[in-house]
Amino acid sequence: MRKPWVIKTDNKHSVPVNVDCVAIDQIDSLPVEDVAYWLIDMRIWQDGWQTLCQVRRHLSPKVYLRPVVFLMESMEMPAEIQKAADGHINLVSVDNAILEDWVSRVEPVNHWINHLAHVDEAQDTNIAFKVLRLITSRNMELEPVTTVRRNSGYVYPILEPLFGKRDTGVMETLSFLESQHLLTGKYVSKAHYCSHCGSAFLNFKESCPHCSSDDLAVDELVHHFKCAYIAEMSEFKHGDHLQCPKCERELRHIGVDYDKPSMVFHCNQCSHTFQDPKIMVACYNCGRSTEPENQIVKVIQSYSVSAIGLNAAEYGLEALFTNILDSELRLYSINAFHDFFHVEAARISRYKISSSSLAMIQFRDIDQLYIKLGGRAQEVFAELSAIFKSVLRQSDIITARNESIFFVIMTETKKQEAYRAIERLQEDVVALFKNNLDFSPQLVISIEAIDEQMDLEKTLEDFLGNHAV
Amino acid sequence: MPFEGVINFVNGLSAGQILAYFWPFFLLDMTRYLFLDVIVILIYIPKRILNKARFLNARKRLYKELPLISVIVPGKNEGKHIPRLAYSLDNQTYKNIELIVVDDGSDDNTATICRELERKGKIQCFIRNEVRGGKASAANTALKYSNGKYVIHIDADSHLAYDAVETILLPFYMNPNIGAVGGDVRVANAEETFATRMQAIEYLKSISTGRTISSELNILRIIAGAHGAFRRDVLDRLYGWDVGPGLDGDITLKIRKLGFRVVHEPMAICYTNVPTTFWRLAKQRFRWDRSMVRFRVRKHRDVLFPSAQFNFANFMATAENIFFNIILDIKWCIYFIQMVVFYPDQLEYIFIINYFLYLMANILEFVVACALLHLSLRPRDYFLAVFIPLIPFYTGLFLRIVRTYAYLMEFLYGASYMDKWNPWKVSRIAKREKL
Repeated sequence: MRKPWVIKTDNKHSVPVNVDCVAIDQIDSLPVEDVAYWLIDMRIWQDGWQTLCQVRRHLSPKVYLRPVVFLMESMEMPAEIQKAADGHINLVSVDNAILEDWVSRVEPVNHWINHLAHVDEAQDTNIAFKVLRLITSRNMELEPVTTVRRNSGYVYPILEPLFGKRDTGVMETLSFLESQHLLTGKYVSKAHYCSHCGSAFLNFKESCPHCSSDDLAVDELVHHFKCAYIAEMSEFKHGDHLQCPKCERELRHIGVDYDKPSMVFHCNQCSHTFQDPKIMVACYNCGRSTEPENQIVKVIQSYSVSAIGLNAAEYGLEALFTNILDSELRLYSINAFHDFFHVEAARISRYKISSSSLAMIQFRDIDQLYIKLGGRAQEVFAELSAIFKSVLRQSDIITARNESIFFVIMTETKKQEAYRAIERLQEDVVALFKNNLDFSPQLVISIEAIDEQMDLEKTLEDFLGNHAV
Repeated sequence: MPFEGVINFVNGLSAGQILAYFWPFFLLDMTRYLFLDVIVILIYIPKRILNKARFLNARKRLYKELPLISVIVPGKNEGKHIPRLAYSLDNQTYKNIELIVVDDGSDDNTATICRELERKGKIQCFIRNEVRGGKASAANTALKYSNGKYVIHIDADSHLAYDAVETILLPFYMNPNIGAVGGDVRVANAEETFATRMQAIEYLKSISTGRTISSELNILRIIAGAHGAFRRDVLDRLYGWDVGPGLDGDITLKIRKLGFRVVHEPMAICYTNVPTTFWRLAKQRFRWDRSMVRFRVRKHRDVLFPSAQFNFANFMATAENIFFNIILDIKWCIYFIQMVVFYPDQLEYIFIINYFLYLMANILEFVVACALLHLSLRPRDYFLAVFIPLIPFYTGLFLRIVRTYAYLMEFLYGASYMDKWNPWKVSRIAKREKL
């Protein structure tokens, strides 16, 4: 039976509940698998937050993935801090029953942690991997929360304690995991960021196109039909009614006696009058002002773990197909692949004695494959890599766009020969899965002869546009 | 031979018969337009030469003071003309100018063009009224946001000669009692069609020469909306323009009623685009002529009657206008009936001789215009002389028919209150209030 442990914070308060406690630097000496959740005293929430950060930045998945529950006296702390824990217990009403209740509530998380492969000796140093595991362990949809405490304006509370100031930002890490098909993003909102410092705290201001001052007055124009007099509304106001300064008639009904044809801005600094104010954006953080079109617009998303991500979180990133393929064949980066392509195209054009081909391969239902393979993924992908290795040659250049899309420059290979080779690869891959798993992965293949006129970007984009899902 | 017949007919006429046959020409048109033109111009040209020192002194004072001049341009769907107008202001000899353009509810790309010019600094203030309010309200909007000591009202489809702003301001520095100065208006698109050529000749006669003479006689009754300069304090006293059509004639008379002089400056030149077809021209004149009845006969008829504010010059300006333009318009009916009833056998000769008389009068008027404006005329303006033989038909038939129809429609139905030139909401109030 697992039980909660209080982690001592730096504050002078005594431990408020009758629960075993441990100092943060003594955690490693505990039998952590018996810990149900960490209790952190949040009466001085800044101290509690430091403790939480230390827990989440621990390298052992048994420690940093373990649920955390806050002990709180009041709710007077920022919402994103509260949401960084798995839950909170009110100090006023805390008793054994509540503590027990939380043990059972967090049990699915603990169960998932204890079933991780090599969990005892694992040391997760990759921050992206820690993020992936933390999200997966909670089986949650990671929702952004607005905040005024971070320049980004949005935080993913549970991830915040993972990141020290020098780490890559949370949003960049999530984007990376999404690009690797480990997370799936869903649109939540859009936000504007300062092009200089990345702050979301921007002040959109109407300003004078002449002197750039934002000290503007705005007024409606009133047109009195009878005498054609036009002036600002303030000129017509006469007590509680409107009266024309020109003919002194009372304006009774809009649309009958008068209308409001437009609005006019007046600069209180330079006296310029205009209708089309210049919109400027001032950053609260760095103080710089720029035009709105120069700001960076980012899509804010919620994230859930994909099938590939689930597999990677459980068995490690080493189990990903691209990692295995990389160790067998050496995958080049997309940039290096572009360089090789241009060299090859120039060589073919220069000597006109040989032909090379560009093969584009996509595994259509790779997600299904990961779900089906589970813990066997690493083993099966090793066999898959062996097939790639047997069909492709040392001189072929291969790159992966992600887990499911691969591009290959097949040097000194005519288009027909390339077709034959890739067909062989397809047959072997299908046979591998059919014989071992009774599963037929769908492969989409396209082959193009390389010449100097070929626009690699366009060719790849066309392939992705036509086939990628 | 008809020509011999005409000669014989003329030779056989006594002085009494000449008057009986051709009284409209000899008693009215020749006296009012030809003789008066020649006499006044013969006085005006030497006077202008003698006043050269006064003009130079006025110019010196203008440049010493260097007041801000507001050029206001109200208009609807006139965006395509604005760049040319803005660049013509950029090239003025006088530089302290602000250009204020008011878009009166355009439904084309006027706003886009003007905003771009505003960004480039060619327009100092651009106001777009999303809801159309009519020309007067647009002009008043521009006036509201103008800051100049003098305000020059220009039609959007016009542009200025390089020294027009400077020249139109000089009369203000020669006579402190001048409240408004009318600039000369010439036809910018004279070469475009036959109709525009006819109007180019007409403008030289009736605006350049006619208004100079009216100005000299102190009976000038209109400062054209296309090109007119106003003292700002005068416009402020009047709270700007009243509901049109014919708002330019209306405000001129209101300025006169305040006791200010209004003059015409023929050397301050504005080029404006005129209607290119006779049908469009007829519609334009129909509007202009109706406003004569609406404003002279109805709104400002008080100047014709004795009162504490009675002013002889204002009386003459209105009375001359009503007499020669409106009352004498019926003389053609009387004359036509007289000829058909009493001289049916001589109709052919009478028509030919009338044509000849009016042709000679038009040639002489063209010569007078050339003498008055020769320094500012372009070579192509002189070539318009080729078309003078057609002018008697243009003024004597076409314009007269349009004018007569306009007067009738205005007297009988108040047609100006139904003109689409104003939005219906404004016309409705104008009719109800008998404005």
